[in-house]
Amino acid sequence: MHMIEEIAKAKISRRDFLKGTVAATAAMAGLSMAGRGENALKAHAESVAPVEHAEITDIQSQGKWVTGSCWHNCGGRCLNKVLVVDGTVIRQKTDDTHEDSPDFPQQRACVRGRSQRQHVLSPDRLKYPMKRKNWNPGDGEKHPELRGMDEWERLSWDEAIEICADEIHRIVQKYGNQNILIPYGGECQMVLSKMGGYRSCWGTNSRGAYTSTPGKVGFWPQSNEGINDRIELRKSDVIILHGCNPAWSSAGNPAYHLLQIKKHNPNAKFISIDPLYNDSAALVEAEWIPIRPSTDMAFLLGLAYTVYKLDEAGEGLMDWDYLNTRTLGFDQEHMPTDAEEGAHSFKEYLLGELDGQPKDASWASEICGVPVEKFEYLARLLSKENKVAYLTAWAQARTHNADNLPQMHMTLGAMTGHFGKSGHCWGVSAHSRNINGGYYLCGSGGAGNPSAQNPLPNPTINDTECWEACKKGVAIHNSYGAPGVEVPIDLKMVYWGYTAFLNTREGTSAGIEVLRSMPEFVLSHSMFRTTNAKYSDIVLPVTTPWEKAGSFLQGNREALIMATKVIEPIYEAKNDQEIANLICAKIFEKYGEFYPELTADPVYPLTEEQQFMNSACGCWYLDENHEKKTLISITAEQKAAYGVEGEDQEGIITFDEFMEKGLFQIPRADGDAYGYIAWQDYREDVNNNAAKGNSASGMMEIYSQGLKDMVNAMKFSTIEAYPTWIEQEDGYFGTFADRKLGGEKGEFPLQIYNPHYLRRSHSDFDNVGWLREAWPNPVFLSKTDADAAGIMDGDTVQITSPHGSVLRNACVTGRLMPGVVGLPHGSWSDMDEKLGVDRGGTDNIICGGISTGAGVSGWNTGRCNIKKFTEYQLPADVDRSDMQERILFE
Amino acid sequence: MATAFYFDMTACIGCKACQMACKDKNNLPLGILYRTVQSYEVGEYPMPGVYHTSLTCNHCAEPACVAKCPTGAMYKTEEGPVLHDDDLCIGCQMCVNTCPYGVPKYLEDKKITGKCDTCIGIRKDGGLPQCVAACPMRALDFGTVEEILERHPDAVGMDTMPFMPESDTRPMTFVSPKTIVSADAVEKFF
Repeated sequence: MHMIEEIAKAKISRRDFLKGTVAATAAMAGLSMAGRGENALKAHAESVAPVEHAEITDIQSQGKWVTGSCWHNCGGRCLNKVLVVDGTVIRQKTDDTHEDSPDFPQQRACVRGRSQRQHVLSPDRLKYPMKRKNWNPGDGEKHPELRGMDEWERLSWDEAIEICADEIHRIVQKYGNQNILIPYGGECQMVLSKMGGYRSCWGTNSRGAYTSTPGKVGFWPQSNEGINDRIELRKSDVIILHGCNPAWSSAGNPAYHLLQIKKHNPNAKFISIDPLYNDSAALVEAEWIPIRPSTDMAFLLGLAYTVYKLDEAGEGLMDWDYLNTRTLGFDQEHMPTDAEEGAHSFKEYLLGELDGQPKDASWASEICGVPVEKFEYLARLLSKENKVAYLTAWAQARTHNADNLPQMHMTLGAMTGHFGKSGHCWGVSAHSRNINGGYYLCGSGGAGNPSAQNPLPNPTINDTECWEACKKGVAIHNSYGAPGVEVPIDLKMVYWGYTAFLNTREGTSAGIEVLRSMPEFVLSHSMFRTTNAKYSDIVLPVTTPWEKAGSFLQGNREALIMATKVIEPIYEAKNDQEIANLICAKIFEKYGEFYPELTADPVYPLTEEQQFMNSACGCWYLDENHEKKTLISITAEQKAAYGVEGEDQEGIITFDEFMEKGLFQIPRADGDAYGYIAWQDYREDVNNNAAKGNSASGMMEIYSQGLKDMVNAMKFSTIEAYPTWIEQEDGYFGTFADRKLGGEKGEFPLQIYNPHYLRRSHSDFDNVGWLREAWPNPVFLSKTDADAAGIMDGDTVQITSPHGSVLRNACVTGRLMPGVVGLPHGSWSDMDEKLGVDRGGTDNIICGGISTGAGVSGWNTGRCNIKKFTEYQLPADVDRSDMQERILFE
Repeated sequence: MATAFYFDMTACIGCKACQMACKDKNNLPLGILYRTVQSYEVGEYPMPGVYHTSLTCNHCAEPACVAKCPTGAMYKTEEGPVLHDDDLCIGCQMCVNTCPYGVPKYLEDKKITGKCDTCIGIRKDGGLPQCVAACPMRALDFGTVEEILERHPDAVGMDTMPFMPESDTRPMTFVSPKTIVSADAVEKFF
């Protein structure tokens, strides 16, 4: 099957189904090719009568709608249906399985989901296994310096599997497992887990400091249940969006849910605190308070100080009952029992009793850029008497030295008592829970696959440190809070699995440098020539979920999607699991005596069909009494058809109906059994253990010995047990020549951050022409900064940070705070090798590997300079040569 | 009888899901859009404003494209939509050049023009125009003019908006505009 032909066929078929009846009308009017000209036009205009279009029909009656997976890590999971006619993908549609209403909304797909067919059937899908021309296995020449520039040769699967098996075995035996890096990717890890292990990476990814901190300070499970559900949110009167932009960061329904707050409560006050006047703010006509990136801690400290002082002056803003009974560490009267000797409380720091600097509005304003007068205004809005929904997100915690930031939010939320009451909440509104907090109401079962167990001791490297550690030859193993242990690494092999690591982790420039010098073998599973694949030696083409038996997808708490196979695997693409099985089988066959863990049995024993049915059997929903019930009715025969043994099971939707609809969704309404008010149980009964967070005390710890001890033992940088402002190397202070605020600006005078962007879900979809056309991916510049650099809208700009240099065309806007540059997240690297600048505008060329605190990736802590680029005008991404260069082997 | 599209500018976030759904339904090559989202910026930092438009064929009551089409390929239906018969089209582009809104597009590969047909085939099967069914913000609607004005009593004619060129074709598109819409707005590509 050739997808290109399919697309062409689809175009032809359109003509068939658009055929109307008007040919007869034209004939009647006496028009012909010869009838062109003024007279004919006049005659035509007079003679053309309105016609019926009874015979215009749609092609959908000739085909079948199949639910196609939209599997990307955006937080949404929307319904994407695909019209298949005679095996050809014709077009898509979204949820029309039920009437749409604000309470019971359809799961409508976003701009990316609507172009999913362009992604799966893209002409640049990898078709065959391939090898880099100048790389040779065994003792042959490797030419690592040609990675990313070499040509490709097609291999048969037999050849490819043999080379992979030989090389993996050779490198394990010659250099040892500790020098083989598999950053992420379960299937690749499974191979090496049977051969003595591998180095992997760990990191904080989307959540930033919300990865490790909430569990220590008792602000957990923040990512799931930190805010009220979407219907409860409509009862809030003051809605603060602090770095929260669902319109761009959580496509799908979240922005629609935000709009419902405004529709239900036209008098609600919306505030947006963000470097950009974003589309969520514009949607609800929020008052915009610009803030410098990566200074949110200073802002919140200034706000906490102002709240405290106004309360002290008798304004009654603070909820002292909540603070004194539900938290520890605000003041010396309420310290946790595990506090170290001589420990200070948060209040002492806040008031400046420790360092002589009260964290007042003028101190905070100088750092964060929020005008001094806004602090009292905001402090009064935050009064415990107001129904406040304070919706923050992870972006501000994807910054350096941010480990106490979640704790700071918790602290200010507790001071003003916006926890656990109707209309009040304070927490993370992001990803799958954006504008809709709460526990899941339904879910799927496990597929039944084994997981890789890595036998290598101290195997991990933090994402932020990976490339620098490879260069230095030593890494710190400290995953997710483990005490730091130095481990040597001499990188000899990289095996890329399912993450776009080289593109989506800090220090892409350093990564390319490492890949062009150190490893003898770089192997990649990939759908496209991604950045990972580009710098590899062997690339193995893998199938997308559209080519697999089926799966369940879940984003928001109410809906579960059953996706099924749309097309057969394209060209020679294989399932990742099958590739792992083939490599392991070959290694067992040739070198089995070296690896006792390997057997003749496949490492992934289940078929795709079995895995799908296992997941189906385990699907569940919560009934109105919150009892977990079986969701899908499946007969023993249906199970057997998928290779699974089992008896009939009874649910509330049949397997066939679920497959036909593709969606199960729990209807919601105000006052139903599924409303959610975050921290309600904790507020109502502090002794309710189930309601407590998992800090050492079980309470909200404004002083957390556990957090301090954990972070400081990780050996990156140190923190206090309570929230403090910490200057960051690449932060605002770093834009000044001598790091002194208000002084002369330095080499990198601007801050830069990476907003999420609707063209992509992280790096996924960047190769889709239709999305490049829709979303041009400029660099956002404030008018002030663009004017100063002589840059006009559309000019090509070179953006340079201490870590690398990229090109983008400018979008000069009044929506961005001066002094701040916005570079959208996730664009694929496309190096201009001659000039050493990245035409793709990759954010991680700009972000470097700086390791702080609990290993938090700090993509929103950055500094740069900008200048008008005069070597050439960068073409629009949709016209850039990389679109064609990625199409390998017609 | 007349049909009309409706656009709620106050609900639009400029995400372009409608544009993409349309492109997908009509399977259009790069460079061709039958529905286009545009973004406009007004004001200056720190008081900027932004609004978006989502526009397609206005299915005018007195369509210039129909009047100028020499072969009857472009025609007005009794229900309201202006349709295009690909088989009659000779690719002369009279419609492309005459439409005040730049709606008909010349399809290089097929040597004919094309434009929005209100997803008439899908509607006959009981469905909605794909842009309307796609909108994550529920900002688009389609129906008879009477239905549209009943469902959106505050709607005004799209032709009252400053970004719409002057014409006498009586466009059948309605909008609930944002108050910040201004003739001084600048189009931006975010």
